[in-house]
Amino acid sequence: MDLVFLAELTVNGALTGLLYSLFAIGLVLIYKSSSVPNLAQGALTMLGAYVVLAFSHNMGLPLWVAIPLAVVIMFFVGIGIEKVALRRLAGRPVIMILMMTMGIDIFLRGTTLAIWGGSSRSVDLGVSYEPLFVGDMLLSRIHIVGASVALALFVAFFLFFRSRLGIRLRAISDDYMASWSVGISVERGVGLSWGLASIVAVATGVIWGEIQGVDQSLSILLLKGLTVAVLGGLDSIIGAIVAGIILGILESVGSFYLDEIVGGGSRDLIVAAVLILTVMIRPHGLFGRHDIERV
Amino acid sequence: MAQPKTTATDQILSLNSIEVLYESVLLAIKGVSIEVPRGGMVALLGSNGAGKSTTLKAISGLLKAERGKVSRGEIRFDGKLIGNILPQDRVAMGICHVIEGRRVFEHMTPDENLEAAAPMSMSRQKVNSEKARIYEYFPRLAERKASQSGYLSGGEQQMLAIGRALMTQPRLLMLDEPSLGLAPFLVAEIFGIIQRINKEDGLSVLLVEQNALAALEIVSHGYLIENGRVVMHDSAEALKANSDIQEFYLGGGEGKNFHDIKHYSRRKRWLS
Repeated sequence: MDLVFLAELTVNGALTGLLYSLFAIGLVLIYKSSSVPNLAQGALTMLGAYVVLAFSHNMGLPLWVAIPLAVVIMFFVGIGIEKVALRRLAGRPVIMILMMTMGIDIFLRGTTLAIWGGSSRSVDLGVSYEPLFVGDMLLSRIHIVGASVALALFVAFFLFFRSRLGIRLRAISDDYMASWSVGISVERGVGLSWGLASIVAVATGVIWGEIQGVDQSLSILLLKGLTVAVLGGLDSIIGAIVAGIILGILESVGSFYLDEIVGGGSRDLIVAAVLILTVMIRPHGLFGRHDIERV
Repeated sequence: MAQPKTTATDQILSLNSIEVLYESVLLAIKGVSIEVPRGGMVALLGSNGAGKSTTLKAISGLLKAERGKVSRGEIRFDGKLIGNILPQDRVAMGICHVIEGRRVFEHMTPDENLEAAAPMSMSRQKVNSEKARIYEYFPRLAERKASQSGYLSGGEQQMLAIGRALMTQPRLLMLDEPSLGLAPFLVAEIFGIIQRINKEDGLSVLLVEQNALAALEIVSHGYLIENGRVVMHDSAEALKANSDIQEFYLGGGEGKNFHDIKHYSRRKRWLS
């Protein structure tokens, strides 16, 4: 095997990995504020894609109108879900909240199936499917676009968490009681993080919808997104980016070699191995914080 | 029902025989009445589990987070009934509660801790000038403002917790056991600052302490709580002189220690 091919596998793996990061950023946002992995993030992503399609295909609006509209609507959908379903659970055991997000996942999947049916639709972003040649490497244009969106969101959130509002959100993720004691509305902060995660879901849904079509299988992105989030540390956005790149490369290069041995299907094995090993060896992930113990 | 009319009063805070229920069954406070005069400093003394912290949480509204509620009696701040007001809105009214155990935002820097507590409506310049004021009160915080707060010493964390509370522009500052686990000279330093802010800005202070000795040194009045009831209320001088208080809360052997604190704080005032 030549070096160019290995480089191509690596770069394409990293690009795909950044698309997992895109998904994982949504998980991280909610985890940071409420310490719960949102099992409904996959369904939210799918819903985001369907809402964009509803505006662009059903109502005939151009995508540059449909996507911002979907962003606004999904922002309020996220806030609404938090307010209606999760706020009353504040202070309950985490398992209850986890089960609630799972219930929301099933609910959203059922609803989208009832409204839009099971057939796959395309987003038609208008990105060319002609491969892009960089030297001798073949790269996918849509993956480059998606990876750029992931990096742009990373920069945006990096700056946001240094703003005054962002600092207040970080305070909430540190200590609810202390936040209340200085007048920070924990409820509103957690709601905001759901709204932001839903915006990320629209971006993820559009990019992945373009790559694999918009149907129920979009929600299964949760598994890879969750693996990336766990590997990155669940509460770290930089962690989600780095872990996405690592998982993408492992998956792409690793499955090339493993598939020859096991005869295909090793991608999911690699993802599963990463998830299991992370939890066993380094439960707080690469960049996750662990509680400070002062001596 | 009490009429909602607000009257000008010398009391910034008044509790009128309040009761607090946890989980709808456990009666933690059984009719506590206390008053804090505007610009005054009042101590709430008593042993562990007497109901001191619960009283503060009833005032700040943080009871809600612990499934507790005020089941009887009324709490007035500045003449207004505040029983149905959300905790964050009470902070906006000017009540700030420095909760027990310091509870700084550990993964953030001291500077970010202060920013987090500044109301969103406060202008950027005002935030900066308020931070500068707090760094002037607590120069140690200024030295460590870029380090992670979780790694500050206990005394520094307590200073940060108080500084953070001051960022909310309180008119009533409630401190829950600020001396807990701190060396006497740090207690003296922190109490000295609280006293200074009280004098300079007229900030009213309600201080909860097990360390009655240190507390009675800076407050004008004290309440003694036992088993969820106020059992004694008097001026700080009278409480210090009271033989029961001396026996149960001040202790005989600590007089010398106390002298050292006072000596230190006097020297400190000279030096600064």
